[in-house]
Amino acid sequence: MPDQPELLAQFSNALATRAEAAKNTVVAIRLAHERHITGMLWHSGVVVVSEQSLPHRDEFELVAPGGAVFSAKLAGRDPSTNIAILRPADAIAAPSIVAGEARTGAIALAIGADGTGGASARLGLVNLAGPEWHSSHGGLIDRRIVLDVRLAGREEGGPVFDATGGTLGMSTFGPRGQVIVIPTATIERVVPQLLKDGHIARGWLGVALQPVAVPDALRETADQSSGLMVMSVVEGGPAAQAGILAGDIILSVDGTSAHRLRKIARHFGADSVGRKAELRLIRSGAVIAVQTTIAERHAA
Amino acid sequence: MSNLASIPVLMERLRVAVHAKDAPRRTALGKVVAEAGHVVVGADDTADVVLVDGDGPPGETRPVVALGGADDDVSGVLSADADADQIDAAIRAVAAGLVVRLPGAREQEAGFGAMRETLGHALLTPRELEVLAALAEGLTNKAVARRLDISLHTVKFHVESLFRKLGARTRTEAVAKASERRRHETITL
Repeated sequence: MPDQPELLAQFSNALATRAEAAKNTVVAIRLAHERHITGMLWHSGVVVVSEQSLPHRDEFELVAPGGAVFSAKLAGRDPSTNIAILRPADAIAAPSIVAGEARTGAIALAIGADGTGGASARLGLVNLAGPEWHSSHGGLIDRRIVLDVRLAGREEGGPVFDATGGTLGMSTFGPRGQVIVIPTATIERVVPQLLKDGHIARGWLGVALQPVAVPDALRETADQSSGLMVMSVVEGGPAAQAGILAGDIILSVDGTSAHRLRKIARHFGADSVGRKAELRLIRSGAVIAVQTTIAERHAA
Repeated sequence: MSNLASIPVLMERLRVAVHAKDAPRRTALGKVVAEAGHVVVGADDTADVVLVDGDGPPGETRPVVALGGADDDVSGVLSADADADQIDAAIRAVAAGLVVRLPGAREQEAGFGAMRETLGHALLTPRELEVLAALAEGLTNKAVARRLDISLHTVKFHVESLFRKLGARTRTEAVAKASERRRHETITL
């Protein structure tokens, strides 16, 4: 079989050309100690960042493509989808974004900001492209996309491209350093809401809950072995108004057992605000029902 | 005379402000700081280092050592169950202008993960949580029994059950592991 060096060279050149063009898609967000993370230019006035790695403050310094430094303000953050957005003081030219299609086994090019106005690149495969999932904070992520690339901390938050140049989404770290992608569809859905309100509307009762085992003596009456104990009640919140007390153990919400965490989270989505909810709970050894009205959660 | 002793930052009594969510934890951390030879100062007093349990207050400009925090901006990050030697070492390092991170920090971090469908491991009962809160305050079994109005035998039973469920060998370890669990498992609705 004849050697075809031009094929490999073409492949390599194509990648290098993509990486070169992609430096216009990222900014560096400066952190303390001369470190940075990557942000993705979404439109000219909006930078998308990985929420979990963005320090909790309101003002940031960005290094735009080419090296110009801009100040930027936090415009909103949503831990439930790991998306935060920054608004630069001056518009930074942004590329047009076409959503890519994640397929298991397809090539993925992950881009990071190098901190001086250039880009760094990582090549790998889409290790897994699965259906939608719920994050531990209750957010809906449109697809499960896992990459088999290594990523440096400073590269987190950059765009991930497919072979056609379509944007799969924003890179971020999952559990145990796994590199996952927040899909473009999720960002498209969340950014307008964050621009409008600074947060994502969610149902709110005003309680902090901890999973507990139902005491043996009450298992039969409760008809389940675990529940969510009320650790604290926010003053003036819906739970407080309904008379819920610290120490109550919630067994179910509108018939959904409290140990079905994802189902409970789904129950408190944006559409739940204003709805009545019936809580079944254990208080001083007896099972009682309490009516409450779901309010809207403010801030994170 | 050791050479090390002549380095000011290793000798110095540093002023440390302690920031924790609840009073027992603040007391416990204050004790660690004081026993390491530092001075615990008030939250808003002039401090060389701020020791924070979990995520720090936003806008903190002094050097911070965070226990189990996720904020990348702070100078020092330790695990939530860091021991006294590690806390002392981190306070001194951060005061000297160094950055402290755990080995393989990125790999150990929780990361952005999926919600579990159901509750997994052995959950604590409300009574066990009460016993735990008393242990966190440093109470003896006898004092726990008095406070909860139960027999000493029952307290011992609960403590053993706590050790088993949390995989802890000592009371301090049980308190640390439970606080770590609470941090991960607390749900706000």
